[in-house]
Amino acid sequence: MVRIPTRVLLVDDEEDFVEMLSLRLKEAGEQVSTAYSGKACLDILAQDHIDVVILDIRMPGMDGMETLGEIKKRFPLVEVIMLTGHGSAETAVDGMKLGAFDYLMKPADFEELTHKLQGARRRKDEQEERIRQAEARLLMRKSGGTF
Amino acid sequence: MESIRVLLVDDENDFRRTVAKRLTKRGMDIRQATGGEECLNILKKDPVDVVVLDLKMPGMDGMETLHHIKNSCPGTEVIMLTGHATTRDGVDGIKAGAFDYLSKPIELEHLAGKIRQAFEKRTREDEKQKEKDFRARMEQQMIATERLASLGTLAAGVAHEINNPLAIIKESAGWMKSILQKKELAQMPRRGDFEMALGKIENGVERARRITHQLLGSVKQTDATLSKVDLKELVEETMVLHQKEADQKGVQLLETIDPGKNVIWSDPYKLRQVLINILSNAVHATDAGGKITVTAETSEDHATLTISDSGRGIPGEHLKKIFEPFFSTKPTGEGTGLGLFVTRSIIDKLGGEIEVESRVGQGTQFSVKLPKHPDVKCNSNKGSYKGQNDERA
Ligand SMILES: Nc1ncnc2c1ncn2[C@@H]1O[C@H](COP(=O)(O)OP(=O)(O)O)[C@@H](O)[C@H]1O
Ligand SMILES: [Mg+2]
Repeated sequence: MVRIPTRVLLVDDEEDFVEMLSLRLKEAGEQVSTAYSGKACLDILAQDHIDVVILDIRMPGMDGMETLGEIKKRFPLVEVIMLTGHGSAETAVDGMKLGAFDYLMKPADFEELTHKLQGARRRKDEQEERIRQAEARLLMRKSGGTF
Repeated sequence: MESIRVLLVDDENDFRRTVAKRLTKRGMDIRQATGGEECLNILKKDPVDVVVLDLKMPGMDGMETLHHIKNSCPGTEVIMLTGHATTRDGVDGIKAGAFDYLSKPIELEHLAGKIRQAFEKRTREDEKQKEKDFRARMEQQMIATERLASLGTLAAGVAHEINNPLAIIKESAGWMKSILQKKELAQMPRRGDFEMALGKIENGVERARRITHQLLGSVKQTDATLSKVDLKELVEETMVLHQKEADQKGVQLLETIDPGKNVIWSDPYKLRQVLINILSNAVHATDAGGKITVTAETSEDHATLTISDSGRGIPGEHLKKIFEPFFSTKPTGEGTGLGLFVTRSIIDKLGGEIEVESRVGQGTQFSVKLPKHPDVKCNSNKGSYKGQNDERA
């Protein structure tokens, strides 16, 4: 079976980190885009299809939390995994309340990251599937009405 | 009330004895000396509150005796007795530190009154001194606490900054490892060497990560929520985490806490970290056949957890240092020396106290005393506790 790569957007102001983690994710078969700021992240989301955003919560400028809020407002189907510093579990909880899928502490374990990535991807697929079904039902009812 | 201790110093025996008798009747505790030398000898052995000192005496005279007294026991008050119409001497006495002077012949009531005044002054000064000592001690403690707090903030900042480069190192090594596993590299010369070295890099990163996370855990406070904690449940839960290691070492883990009786309001996550740190040290320190026991005791407003092990104990010269950051007797790579430092700062924040007793070769006992209803200290670096006080079922 051919695995369909997850379209990942990696957002962190640490350029070396973004570069290395994206190489690693690509090596593992994912399709990776990168952004070094919250704003760049939103620009990419507006243009490209992305399944999951990996988002550093601590960034200068538009910070991670704000970016997260904006993503969930404008692209509600996109899943977000947060990267947090340790000891900021409350930020993580706030983030989950804003709709993030999960969080990881830096430096993160790669196995764990890929595991969560799959989880997020699955949730997005299921969500999209439900929407498709709902739309189909809606269509049926409408055509039923004209019957 | 304790009676005032008075030493009468006069070479005129009749006069001295009469005064002594009459002051004793007034409830004072009277000692007597016939001259300056005897007076100083008595004071050396047994201090008094007030000395009544005749100025004119053979041998060491009153003035000289006064100097000696003020030198060797400055807290003792001295009342001078001068001959009639020699106020000059009395004034000199006051200049030299006497409380006051009376001219002979004296009126007994007057003398008794002066002695009481002198005594009151002494008590006041004692209290002032005590207060001063206390304040100095408090200040020292505050300085120490503040120094630790700012050290903590600094350490947390450094730890946080280090996590980013650590993440870069980790991803780089991980990426190289995944490349090495590619089929086209199966025949690469010395592949094993590369893999070995990359493994070492990953271990090193893991070690550094443990340190930074432990440091951050100690200082960077997350908003803790207080909730009801049953100490028995908490201890059972934590013991499970150490059971495997204890079994492997042949160490017994015991807990004798009454169910349901030791319930306090606290932060369960922080408390669990405290227990994990103390228990893991105990397991490390105890050899096959040894035993680790956890007990709990509750008083009206406190609960005390006691963790005793029959392990190797902590030598006296280490006992002072075990709570310092980075003090560890474990081999590099195994101990971070942060466990007890973190433990103590958590307990501090929860309003509790930690104490340790240890005997080399016999074992160690940590006791953690916690308030049942903490009025949790706000953290100096941000972060505060939100107490949930609605106690609904
Ligand atoms: N129960 C114990 N028995 C003997 N030594 C102990 C015990 N608990 C702590 N120590 C000593 O205190 C040191 C500091 O402990 P800790 O701060 O937890 O750091 P670490 O466990 O990483 O060394 C230990 O290295 C050990 O020497
Ligand atoms: Mg330890």
